[in-house]
Amino acid sequence: MDEKPYSEEQFVHAKQEMESLAAASLKGRKLPVNAVFGKLSELTKAIAAGPITWGRKSSLWPMQFGLACCAMELLDFGSARVDAERGGYLLFRGTPRQTDVMIVAGWVTKAMIPEIKRLYEQMAEPRYVIAYGECATCGGPWWESYNIITGIDQVLPVDVYVAGCPPRPENLFGALMKLQEKIGGKIVENKI
Amino acid sequence: MALTKINIGPVHPSTHGVLRLVATLDGDTVKEIEPHIGFLHRGVEKLVETRMYMQSPSYMEKIDYVAPLSYDELYVATVEAALGIPVKERAQYVRVVQLELQRIASHLLWLGTAINDIGQLFSVFMWCFKDRDIVLKLLEEATGGRMFYVNMRLGGLNRDLMPGFADRTYKVLDYLKNRVGEYEEYIESNPIFMERMKKLGVMSREEAINMGVTGPVLRGSGVDFDIRSAYPYYVYEKLHFRSQFETAGDCFARYKVRINEIKESIRLVGEALKKMPEGDALGMPIKLIGPAPKEKEVTVKRELPRGEGMMYMVTDGQRPYRLSIRAPSFINTATLQHLPNGHRLQDLFPILASIDTVMADVDR
Repeated sequence: MDEKPYSEEQFVHAKQEMESLAAASLKGRKLPVNAVFGKLSELTKAIAAGPITWGRKSSLWPMQFGLACCAMELLDFGSARVDAERGGYLLFRGTPRQTDVMIVAGWVTKAMIPEIKRLYEQMAEPRYVIAYGECATCGGPWWESYNIITGIDQVLPVDVYVAGCPPRPENLFGALMKLQEKIGGKIVENKI
Repeated sequence: MALTKINIGPVHPSTHGVLRLVATLDGDTVKEIEPHIGFLHRGVEKLVETRMYMQSPSYMEKIDYVAPLSYDELYVATVEAALGIPVKERAQYVRVVQLELQRIASHLLWLGTAINDIGQLFSVFMWCFKDRDIVLKLLEEATGGRMFYVNMRLGGLNRDLMPGFADRTYKVLDYLKNRVGEYEEYIESNPIFMERMKKLGVMSREEAINMGVTGPVLRGSGVDFDIRSAYPYYVYEKLHFRSQFETAGDCFARYKVRINEIKESIRLVGEALKKMPEGDALGMPIKLIGPAPKEKEVTVKRELPRGEGMMYMVTDGQRPYRLSIRAPSFINTATLQHLPNGHRLQDLFPILASIDTVMADVDR
């Protein structure tokens, strides 16, 4: 049963052959281009660019992802006093697939790097990263430690950095407003 | 039936940090839980060895970020014991006031997040955070920091209480007293909460003692052991402190212990503010070269909001030669290997919440 009815060598060049055959068959043909359809798609893109960026910047959904101390301020950000929802930063979601913004709150150990990378890859594009607090920005007080990377920007592309240890929840509000400016130009000033 | 293995964490909304659990299930029943820790390890004990004594309190606060002041005080008390520095009398009262306010804030955060885990009772979460913010505002006024304070100095404090602090605190205490009573009423009249907390994760008295758990987890199992009354420090003896305990040993008992502790702390703060003497409460300013240590080895223990915290320090001139920390969360987390066995998977999270772990405290 282990012996195959064909030898492997027979099929080594099969893929190349198929591709060359397909290329030869297409050689003489002219593909018709629908000029009207092309213009139309450009037009719809241009029209939709405004609403799409407006939608993107006005409903940023952060991920419920707390590493360390700053996660306490992240909870406060979503609770009664600061109330993130009035700025369009809706409920914190548990799954990365429903979120736009990852807020890295806390120090990043070597053991957490693969997990954070994986979470970032699971998020739907376009996705944004905020480095919240000293530890995620530059290592913070742990910069000498043997198990800490000095800043999340060594692993992920960071959009906004927030300084402080820990930054107040209002600072996160400011950072998300900066992110909104970055996504869609200038924003109308929120009345906080 | 075949056993199933599922992975929970390290990033999960209900694990309160980065705890990874590997659960072996028979259908819906938990057969075995294997906690994996170490996602937040950063080597605090090693970093402290390279620093002068009073450079480290800032590190200590980040061990337990829900109750930073308690760890700050524990470390400074260890250094004070090593250097042989007495604490001024007014400073002792102020420390007790701040520690108990910190305990209230910590337990309120626990109440909010735990109840959110149990049945998405999100309004209680909002209320608790609103009240916690009021307590944090008091602490911010007293110390200058919203979350990390670094207020303890050798022999006293960085800054004394502001004039009028007591009056403002009495108002807050009255408000909190009413609020905690309301929470108790609302929560315990909620059938979802009672169904999911009673007779769940039962730990008998013998089990609790054998596993070495401390704090509200131990007191929920009917052991009346609290460092504040068993080995009193500062002015707890003068304040008629009564430790709170329950006998049932289930999740509900642990919840009840914490609620009663909030009430007891509210009473303690009020009493300490009334009895507080006038005088000087300021400690030594931070200098790199301080007094020489008198003791070679010291061990100090304190009742932290999560259990018994202990620090063992070997001194070596102007810096510690070795610092070892007994973190209460670490030992309490070990009970996860036993408590959820035989329960259903959805009951794992109430049990996890009732133990109240802080992962930075576990990994250090």
